[in-house]
Amino acid sequence: MEMVELGGKQVEIDEDGFIQDPDIWDEAVALSLAKTEGVDELTDNHWKLVNYLREYYLEYNMAPMIRKLCKQTGFSLKEVYDLFPSGPAKGACKVAGLPKPTGCV
Amino acid sequence: MDLITVTREEGVKFQVRIRDHVFTTDMGKHEGGTDGGPAPVEFLGAAAGACLATMVQSYCDSRGYTDGDVSVSLTLELAPNPNRVAGFILDVELPADVPDGDREKLKKMALQMPVPATLRGRPRVDIEMM
Repeated sequence: MEMVELGGKQVEIDEDGFIQDPDIWDEAVALSLAKTEGVDELTDNHWKLVNYLREYYLEYNMAPMIRKLCKQTGFSLKEVYDLFPSGPAKGACKVAGLPKPTGCV
Repeated sequence: MDLITVTREEGVKFQVRIRDHVFTTDMGKHEGGTDGGPAPVEFLGAAAGACLATMVQSYCDSRGYTDGDVSVSLTLELAPNPNRVAGFILDVELPADVPDGDREKLKKMALQMPVPATLRGRPRVDIEMM
């Protein structure tokens, strides 16, 4: 674990860059996390994915399965990867401030 | 079925040979490799996608659906303890002139195609250490 500055805050991250305390997440933290994944700007479509992931996590305490993510947001798998090239877990879940998921790549 | 051989190049990079076809597999830089090729588990996903693409394209060709080609996008869901693939998530893009009725039919057929059917059937894995 190490402390890094994200969105103007000191944030603890794991070895893969996932934040350890989901409660510290805000939009500025999300934007900083996105930059670590090669996404320089978060568009409305990025936020649609990120917000769905956060809402699902806050309700169920886990990340949704990928097919559910696609169906609920209306994005195809390819569109999800176009938005977050490192994928729904390594990219989108990280930006949404979720812990590293065990259920997807 | 032809023999498939896997021989070491260096580190955890291996050469896979099938007849006269040769390709490389390696682990990612965070998993002790050099990312010199797809990881073995990625080949598993590729096999599922390629199988589906081949069979669905053949179906479309035989029915004269020619408004676009078949393509497949896929990813894997992993699970821990033991590390394994928990799910294959595949999106199949069809030619635009495939009727809705055939889309449903193709979805059912896809599960019966060789690689998807093999994965769903949990094949026997027989290993001998020489």
